[in-house]
Amino acid sequence: MTAPIRVLTVDDSASMRALLLGALTSRGFEVEQAEDGQEAFEWLASNEVDVIITDINMPRLDGFGLIEKLRDSVFHADRPILVLTTESSDDKKTRARNAGATGWIIKPFDAEKLSTALRRVTH
Amino acid sequence: MSFVQPIGTGVETSRRVVNRITVTQGHALASDDETVEFRTILGSCVSTCLFDPTARVGGMNHFLLAEPPKSSTNRDFDKDYGLFLMELLINEMFKLGASKSRMRGRLFGGANINTDLGSIGSTNAAFAREFLSREGIQCVSEDLEGRHARHVQFRPAHGQVRCQTVANNSAPKQKPRGLPKSDLGNVELF
Repeated sequence: MTAPIRVLTVDDSASMRALLLGALTSRGFEVEQAEDGQEAFEWLASNEVDVIITDINMPRLDGFGLIEKLRDSVFHADRPILVLTTESSDDKKTRARNAGATGWIIKPFDAEKLSTALRRVTH
Repeated sequence: MSFVQPIGTGVETSRRVVNRITVTQGHALASDDETVEFRTILGSCVSTCLFDPTARVGGMNHFLLAEPPKSSTNRDFDKDYGLFLMELLINEMFKLGASKSRMRGRLFGGANINTDLGSIGSTNAAFAREFLSREGIQCVSEDLEGRHARHVQFRPAHGQVRCQTVANNSAPKQKPRGLPKSDLGNVELF
């Protein structure tokens, strides 16, 4: 039996965190959660996951900032990072790609498609 | 009937409202334009009006249902439902410089007009109350549930709201928009 994929979700909305927790744990993922980019970055200094899902608009450190900081770090330079956002502008998508994001998902999300993407980027 | 006092600190209404924008089901709009007024008519749907008095940014959403029906195959997140439209509303306000910690909310709608449909309105109202509570957004007033449709006008840059009951046949008959599933949550890998 293979170990479950460990996912860190980063979102300042408690409701969204609850939704992601339910959708991912019920599909066999091991889920950790952070409330914003800063909390995620600090947690990742001493913990590891297989993939990160991050929102863009968050207080303290937003999704772009989190991706840039992780790409500059030794331990997370190659970690898959999916952006899950209500943003739909091409500018924001380009910015995420340039910062080093692995993929871009526009809410509302489909749990099956998200699950498939998580397995694919961690394969 | 006059507009109630602004949410939070008072902001003088110095310019005439000239842009009246209807917020229909499935939408969330925000503005810091003093000449804008958002308006909507609600039956069992709920509208959330949020206002950041420091940034002078306000926004309104309009959702049909709190959550997808139990029979739905995609029960997670959909444009017809409350959670998506709450998040969209907050993000639209972020873009204009609002801060979640300063946001104050007012809730409207959620009437149980057609008793054959059960208590959809009350379910919507309960979702909206719970969402604001969970997100730490103070709900400064609500006009929810009951048996009558409502007409809500909201001046987003001033935080002023007016809500009136209207004839129940004024509220549009609305159904889930049933977006094609293929449009939901597509993943683009770079």
